Amino acid sequence: MLNDQDIKKLLLRTAARDEGSAEAFESLYKTCAPLLLGVAQRIVGRRELAEEVLHDGFAKIWRAAESFDPLSAHPVAWLVTIVRNRAIDVQASQNVSRVGSYHDALDNDPDGALDRLFDWGPAADEGEDRRRAAQWLRDCLAELQAVERQSLVLAYEHGLSHGELAAHLRKPLGTVKTWIRRGMVNLRECVEACMGAVR
Amino acid sequence: MKIENHPRLDALCGEYLLGTLRGAARRRFERALREEPLTSLRLRYWERIFVPRYSQMIEMQPSAAGWKRLERDLDLARYRIPWHRRAAFWRGWAAAATAALVLGVVLQISLPAYKTSEPVAVAQLTGQADVSRVTALLSPDGRTLELRAARAVVAGPAQSYELWLLPAEGTAPVSLAVLGSLDARFALPPAQVGRLRSGAKLAVSVEPAGGSPTGKPTGPVILIGPIDT
Repeated sequence: MLNDQDIKKLLLRTAARDEGSAEAFESLYKTCAPLLLGVAQRIVGRRELAEEVLHDGFAKIWRAAESFDPLSAHPVAWLVTIVRNRAIDVQASQNVSRVGSYHDALDNDPDGALDRLFDWGPAADEGEDRRRAAQWLRDCLAELQAVERQSLVLAYEHGLSHGELAAHLRKPLGTVKTWIRRGMVNLRECVEACMGAVR
Repeated sequence: MKIENHPRLDALCGEYLLGTLRGAARRRFERALREEPLTSLRLRYWERIFVPRYSQMIEMQPSAAGWKRLERDLDLARYRIPWHRRAAFWRGWAAAATAALVLGVVLQISLPAYKTSEPVAVAQLTGQADVSRVTALLSPDGRTLELRAARAVVAGPAQSYELWLLPAEGTAPVSLAVLGSLDARFALPPAQVGRLRSGAKLAVSVEPAGGSPTGKPTGPVILIGPIDT
């Protein structure tokens, strides 16, 4: 994996649409496709469908590169959002229930799942700022109520809708919506408190 | 109402990043991101809060055909540096011309025929009768591994195959790749280049989609075979 700065350069070069844009886009693909395919696979659950999502996602990345915000500190997050949204749309159009197919490892071991899915350690290329932010998020997720944390992680990892979450957790839709909303509010307030504490 | 003045702007940003903002609501939000500066500014703030970095363990190697199809569909050839203007081409040409000259001389002296650069079979992986035999081939530079299954073997929806190197020294298995099919070609992790040698073994286990959650084989081993180089 290249660092954020390199990926940002490749994206800007891709957006330039001149000689060398194809080379930059190819480097971007070679660097990021394995991660993005893994992200798609977690949501659509089928290899061939995940490859389709990857294809459509990169076609969108090629077209949308010019709208990438060069001030953004998180180019990988931008790529992930495009691929996740495509995966969510493809999954929704498949019209099949996936809810039964999730193993319940999360239910028993939400913290283990957090560490399997995400990497919280410092990356070699990361600034102090970024490293601290990741740690705050990790700590604040751990402080959430279990139901809130579980809803957020399930929704993020598998791209579940409110309705699918409600079915999976066997809770009323309104309850699940509240967990998600409250979970995000609590998460933000907790991270903001951490930010304030170092100021 | 503009989204940037919306009392639920924070909730919308959060649910957009989480992925629970769907359909028309998501499209409205994405339009606001393009048209309303305060909305995109607020989202950038949220990205500082909600910045999970995926673990490398979830990575999967895309099929080789994927990039070729993308290149064709987007007509990327138009945006390539022409070959004659690529510095690397001329550098490569100079090196190749020199090498060819040297090689020609050497070959004339020492070798009757020039060896081709086809990958070489290094292991036969076998398992129970109902699983296809798989041949592992290594490129001449030792950096690319290829698997060829006698019959097509494709992982089920919730599964991946994971290829492991069982090192000659008897140390813990090392993951080489997470695969959806046992017909695959991929670059070896740089740290493992040169470690596929006699005495070591290759094995394939069945893992949850995306590969082993622990970094060690967790599912049944369906294929195994010694490396012979």
